[in-house]
Amino acid sequence: MALAALRRAATAALQLVAVSVAVFALTSLLPGDTAVVVLGEHATEEQLAALRERMHLDRPPLERFAAWAGGLLHGDLGRSSLTGLPVTEDIARGFTTTALLAVVALVVVVPLAVAIGVAGGLRRGSLPDRVLNSAVLLLNSVPEFALALLLVGLFALHLAWLPATAAGASGWELAAQPALLVLPVSVLVGKQLCGLARQVRIGVAEADDAEYATHVRFHGLPERTVVLRHVLPNAIGPAVQQLARVVDGLLGGVVVVEAVFALPGMGSGFVNAVMARDLPSVQAYALVFAAVTIAVNMLADIAAKRLVPQREVMA
Amino acid sequence: MLRFDRRTALKAALGAVAAAPLAACGAAGAPDGRLRVAFPTAGAKETLDPHTSSLFVDQARAKALFDTLVGYADDMSPVPRLAESWEPDATGTRWSVRLRAARFHDNRPVTADDVLYSYRRVADPATGSPAARQFAGVDFGASRVRSATELELVLREPNFEFPSAWGAPATEIVPAGTTGFSAPVGSGPFRFKSFQPGGSTVLARFDGYWEGAPTPPELEFVPVNEESARVAALLSGQVHYAHDVSANSATLLGRDSRTRVLAATGGTMQAVALKVDRPPFDDPRLVRAIVSGVDRRALVDVVLSGHGKPGNDLFGMGLEYYPQDLPPRERDVELARSLVREAGAEGLAFDLHTSAADPYFESAAILLSQQLAEIGLRAAPRVGPSETYFSDIKKIGTAAHTRTAPLPLPAFLEQRMRGTAGSNNYTGYRSAEFDALFSRAMGSPGEADRSRLFADAQRLARDQSGLLVWGFSDWNVAVSSSVGGLRPAPPNSLDWARFDRAVVG
Repeated sequence: MALAALRRAATAALQLVAVSVAVFALTSLLPGDTAVVVLGEHATEEQLAALRERMHLDRPPLERFAAWAGGLLHGDLGRSSLTGLPVTEDIARGFTTTALLAVVALVVVVPLAVAIGVAGGLRRGSLPDRVLNSAVLLLNSVPEFALALLLVGLFALHLAWLPATAAGASGWELAAQPALLVLPVSVLVGKQLCGLARQVRIGVAEADDAEYATHVRFHGLPERTVVLRHVLPNAIGPAVQQLARVVDGLLGGVVVVEAVFALPGMGSGFVNAVMARDLPSVQAYALVFAAVTIAVNMLADIAAKRLVPQREVMA
Repeated sequence: MLRFDRRTALKAALGAVAAAPLAACGAAGAPDGRLRVAFPTAGAKETLDPHTSSLFVDQARAKALFDTLVGYADDMSPVPRLAESWEPDATGTRWSVRLRAARFHDNRPVTADDVLYSYRRVADPATGSPAARQFAGVDFGASRVRSATELELVLREPNFEFPSAWGAPATEIVPAGTTGFSAPVGSGPFRFKSFQPGGSTVLARFDGYWEGAPTPPELEFVPVNEESARVAALLSGQVHYAHDVSANSATLLGRDSRTRVLAATGGTMQAVALKVDRPPFDDPRLVRAIVSGVDRRALVDVVLSGHGKPGNDLFGMGLEYYPQDLPPRERDVELARSLVREAGAEGLAFDLHTSAADPYFESAAILLSQQLAEIGLRAAPRVGPSETYFSDIKKIGTAAHTRTAPLPLPAFLEQRMRGTAGSNNYTGYRSAEFDALFSRAMGSPGEADRSRLFADAQRLARDQSGLLVWGFSDWNVAVSSSVGGLRPAPPNSLDWARFDRAVVG
């Protein structure tokens, strides 16, 4: 068991290295560099050359990558080629905002998905099941951007119940004004609800049909106990892996949500870094996002492995 | 795909809003009197150093915190600001400038030393200022301070248009010796209060401002990059001013009683640059064919939804020195076809470079390729990345969409048409005759002479330079109807994004 976890961790480390190389290679292929973006369309070749030298952009890509990777081994994420400031400062600024969005969304989405999944899984094909199923599917099929604009149009501009954007508020200011979080979190939740709810539903349905459930029911255990003690725990294995997808989805979703609601988080920071061709920043952001994704998936895999044998024993 | 979704969704969402009965929105007033303005920003890249600013938000903030020697009227002619008066010597190489009495936020007076220091810093390549080239001709060794309020700027060659350089973006006056801008001191209408790159900037009224204390007690720049979010924030009363709204949003906002649209007519030149220094457009017949084959009126009606006016193949319609007496270019399909035939170019295929850098480029490319098909040319729209688009098209292709916000006309001619313009000459136009006319104009002390020579130079460029100016798009900002004291003004002009006279009602 421990060996398997160790092997899984080694794979994760390799994935991280692969991601950083891939990101570096891909961003190097983008046309234009930081100097071009900073100086704008009126810059002369001499101005560009001077700025490139100051930003060390005149060095070959491999040399820059080596310097960056070397720093990484010492726990240094590097400095922005734009501002010269440590990239970590910039990432840290957006971190609270993004983490807050993702965590609140997760706290809402998990119980909601479990409730919908259980309700549907136990009464497959019933009217509530069909309604809930269609509703989450509908939410899932609307693009985030469109969903956000529709919610803003209805709840902020038409009904005036909620603020239309977060307009510059960030980090703990958001926690202090929860109204600002309602619409952004709703978009994230709406988008991620479907996969998880459907996975829980399938798991519950399978466990509900399994022999052991019939067995304990036969012994006269109350339905509540059957569901909570026997059906749900066995439905959770596959759902945990789906939960990892939800985290991936949330990280992707914040890029759009932060843009639509003017939230200065990591998603906006990442987009800005790409637009400014600030390679060290792009690298660092990609690495942080990748690290979170890889770690979450690794944990999910390990957790799922621990949960699966339980079912085999029971069955 | 994403864009399609965005546009459709935006229309649906905004349509629902426009159709809705006016939802009472309590937030529209500002109980604290703070004026909130929404601009797109650039995250960590942002700085308060006025000399390296390249974004509109940087310029707007610089305008609030600092001052320039001159500002631009709507026709981009210089009007006095920190400079009370100026005069050249007979040769146009020695300029005497007298400053008005003004103070920095720390109560020090603005002196000739500060001006000289600022311009040296702007011209220094190490600063990386977009305005460096405007001061490249200054002989800083010979320039000097005459007194606390008088200085002399010496040029290496005659330039009777030099004062217009003092109003360009990124030429703000900072206190002599300033190197850091984390808590900047300027002489502008607002004092620094707080700033975070990528976050809000808060400024407070400067009571000692030379033009009188500003009306809003506080001014906050709120970063909102997405256009739909700026529109939503304005409609819901979260901000009072939304920078740069599209023609579609402008139409919707104009109908809503909560908001007003300030449209500066003809704010931005919309053009296609044909590179005349290489095939196929080194053949003047082909350039003439394209110029004659384009239906400018249709482009304005369709692409700009009527929010603009047709161009006449010259930059700067309505600006000082623009030749008013030229007949408009009319579409002549027959002539265009025969010119294509004459050039032996029937069925010629070429890439028409475009990008999302400007909201109108892509639809213009589609319509243009249809129009050119009618004269026997196959122009294929080719979309490039928007962030680096304008530097990419200097190097690649033969035909590309381009645009230019208002700037003084002589500055445009010098930076885009003259032989010395280098890579900024998007069409690769080179003409000794044009250069001579331009230099003569710059060296002419009499304004009438200058005006005539600039007009001659422009006539030449219009026929030869390969710049097809098909229109001028309006420049839209939107404000809450509770805000007064703001008027439509072209970007880069003095009254654009000028918040010291705004009244939050």
